[in-house]
Amino acid sequence: MSEPWWVSVIKALVIINLVLLTFAYTTLLERKLLARMQLRFGPNRAGPYGLLQPIADLVKLVRKESFFPTAAIDAPYILAPVVSAFTALAAFAVIPFGNGWNIWRYHVNGVVANVPISLILIFALGSIGIYGFIVGGWASESKYSLLGSMRTCAQLVSYEVSLALSVLGVVITAGSLSLVQIVHNQAHSLWYVVPQAVGFLVFLISGVAETSRAPFDLPEAEQELVAGYHTEYSGMRWGLFQMAEYVNMITLSGLAITLFLGGWHFPFAHGVDFLGPLWFFVKLLALLFAFIWLRATLPRLRYDQLMSFGWKILLPVATVNALVTALVVVWAN
Amino acid sequence: MANVLVWAVWVVAAFSCLASGIAVVSFANPFFSALALIGNLASLAVLYLLLSAEFVAAGQVLVYAGAVMVMFLFVTAYLGGRADAPWAGGPTWQQFGAVLAAGAILVEVIVVIGLKAGGRLSHEAKIDAGFGSPHRIGRVFLTDHLLAFEITSVVLLVAAVGAVILGAHSRGDRVPGHVSGPGRGTWPEET
Repeated sequence: MSEPWWVSVIKALVIINLVLLTFAYTTLLERKLLARMQLRFGPNRAGPYGLLQPIADLVKLVRKESFFPTAAIDAPYILAPVVSAFTALAAFAVIPFGNGWNIWRYHVNGVVANVPISLILIFALGSIGIYGFIVGGWASESKYSLLGSMRTCAQLVSYEVSLALSVLGVVITAGSLSLVQIVHNQAHSLWYVVPQAVGFLVFLISGVAETSRAPFDLPEAEQELVAGYHTEYSGMRWGLFQMAEYVNMITLSGLAITLFLGGWHFPFAHGVDFLGPLWFFVKLLALLFAFIWLRATLPRLRYDQLMSFGWKILLPVATVNALVTALVVVWAN
Repeated sequence: MANVLVWAVWVVAAFSCLASGIAVVSFANPFFSALALIGNLASLAVLYLLLSAEFVAAGQVLVYAGAVMVMFLFVTAYLGGRADAPWAGGPTWQQFGAVLAAGAILVEVIVVIGLKAGGRLSHEAKIDAGFGSPHRIGRVFLTDHLLAFEITSVVLLVAAVGAVILGAHSRGDRVPGHVSGPGRGTWPEET
C-alpha cells in the first residue's frame, strides 16, 4: 500500500497544522475547564465564549520582544526550544489515525510515515526532546533555570523507564513494534486496555510525569523555581517550549489511544471505520480532559515522594507486568 | 536517483561524524564536548540507517544519544560545566600515546576490513526484507551471541548493585523514618 511522495508531503503538512490547532485549542480548553472546576468563567473576552483566545495569545507572543540574558550562551540558548518543538511535532508522524482511503486514483494511508519500528522511534524522539529542556536551562545561565532543567532531567529519565516497560506488555501481546500493526491487531479482539489494564495505568501515570503535568509538575513548580527551565525565555521562544509540552501531551494521548484504546477503531462496529480520524479525535479529547481534570484535582508531589514513587512503586509494577505478560503469552502459545 | 541520495546522505553523515568526533576532543567546555558527542552518536545512527539497520539506529538514538548522554549532560551541568583553562605545557607523553593508539586502531580496522571483506566491498550486499528487524536481532542475541548477551547483563547487574550500595552508603547517617525535604524542614520563626 504505497502512496506517491507528494501525497505524503501534503498529508504531513495537514497533520502538523491539525496538531498545532489542537495544541492551540487545548490551551483554551485547559483554561476553560480549570476555570469551571474552580467556579470561574475563564477567558471569555476574545471572541464568542473566548474562542479566539489562542489566536490572541499567538499574536501577543509573536509580537513580544524576545529578550535574553546577556550571560546566556547564544547558540544552545536559541536552538534548545527549536529542538524540543521539532521532536515533539515529529513524533506525531508515526501515529496512525485511520485505515487509509482511496481518493480518486490514489491510495492515502492513515498514517504519515508507516515505519516498522514506529514505537521505538517515538521513544527515541522523546529522549532527544529532553535535550531541549536541559540545554535551554543550562544555556540561560540562571540558577532557577538550571535547577529547573536538573529537575526536568531527573524526572524524565526516571519515569521514561516505567513508560517504556509499561508499553512492553502491549508489544509482547501484539508481537509487533509497528503502531499500525498494533491498531490492526485490536480490530477483532479486545482492546489492549482490558488485558493490559496494569500497563495502561502505569503508562498513564508515567505519561503524566513525562509531560511534567500536575501532580508531577515539579520541574515548573512556580512557587519554588519561578518557572523552571524556561525562566529566562520570553516571546515565541518561550512559546515553542510551551508548544513542545502541549504537543508532547497530545502525542502521548495519541500513543495511549493507539496502544491501549483500539486506535482509530469504533468500539464493536466496523462499518464506520472510514471515519477513523473522528473516533481518534474523540478519544483524544477524552484523554486530554482526563489530563486537565488531574491538574485541577491533585496537589503537587514532594520531590522525594516523586522519586520514591517512580522507582519503588511504578518501576517494579511495570516490570512485573511485563514479566507476567511474557509468561502468559509463552504459556498460551 | 536513489543512489545519489544515499551517497549525499552518506557524505554528510560521515563528515559530521568525523567533525563532531574532533569537536568532542577540542572543545574546552565539557558541556559542548558532550553536545558534540551526541551529534557524533546521532550521525552514526544515520550511517546505520543507510545500512538498512533501522532497529539498531533507533536503539542507538534511544539508548546512547538519549539516555546515556543525558546523564553526561546532567553531571556536567551540575558541576558547573564551565571551560577549563587551556593546557599551558607542551605535548605530554599521554598525547603521544593517544595519537599512536588511534593510528594503530585505524590501521588495524583497515587491515581487518581488507582481509575479511576483500573483493566483496565493491559489490552491493544482498539482504532480504527481514534484515535488521527486531525479530531477527533478538534471535541472533539468544542463539549465536548468547554468551556475550548474558555476560553484558551480568556486568550491568553488577553496576546496578554497585550504584545502589554507593547510594545507600552516602545516606547512611539518616535517621530511619525521618524525611528531610521541602515541607518538613524547620523554618526560622518570623518575628
